[in-house]
Amino acid sequence: MNKGVKAWTLTMVMMTFFIGPLRAAEDAALLKDMTSVIALLGLPCGQVVSVIKKGDNDHIATCQDGNRYRVFLNTEGRVVATKQ
Amino acid sequence: MHVMRLVGLLFFLLAAGCVGVERAPPPTGAPPAEAAAVEPSKIGSTGQGVAKVESQNAKTPAKLPAEQPRKQSATPSSGKPGTPPLDLTALETRLKETKAIGVFTKITLKNQVDDLLSQFRAYYQGRVKTTLAELRQPYDMLLLKVLSLLQDGDPELARAIVASREAIWGILADPAKFATL
Repeated sequence: MNKGVKAWTLTMVMMTFFIGPLRAAEDAALLKDMTSVIALLGLPCGQVVSVIKKGDNDHIATCQDGNRYRVFLNTEGRVVATKQ
Repeated sequence: MHVMRLVGLLFFLLAAGCVGVERAPPPTGAPPAEAAAVEPSKIGSTGQGVAKVESQNAKTPAKLPAEQPRKQSATPSSGKPGTPPLDLTALETRLKETKAIGVFTKITLKNQVDDLLSQFRAYYQGRVKTTLAELRQPYDMLLLKVLSLLQDGDPELARAIVASREAIWGILADPAKFATL
């Protein structure tokens, strides 16, 4: 029992140390990805400051200039950004 | 005592992870200076490239498709000696594998490449009234977009693309080579 608690504690500590930074890196990569997509599509944005995941390949990106776009993959396999 | 060992191992792993993170930037540290040095000339050459093509087109508009293959065969040998020019398949593979661009960006770029190829297809099929010189502009624009995305994260690939720029254009501008794509 005592060993189990120790193992659980250790797992939680490791998750805190490793998964936290990993997620932050993933988030930063997604922000950069969304920024690039919106720029490639020629839409005004600047930098994307936050992204909300709505579903698979479907995100709401909020830009530095206040614009919000829904960035998603349509049925034809094209990345589309529509202003919200 | 056992817990102390585990905690020690944890901090060792954590430190190893941090060392790995710190080690990542140096490879990009040296090349960006070169990439930044390449960039202005690249932008300049784009303008010149378009101007050159336009002036050539003004002189001999009907002969352009026939002249392009010669231009393509001449360009790779006159390119930078260090970076061999790519073909389209190799370029596609490296672009797919690079970590400098996110998945959505890659799909968007692929969409834009497909759009450009559709424009060329329509041009060769005579469905649109345009010239090769006019098609050079979107080609250069797309290449600039790709380079701007790659120059910080994957400067090697960016340099390779710059080196093979005319070779790719040679394939696109030659109806026979384009048909094989």
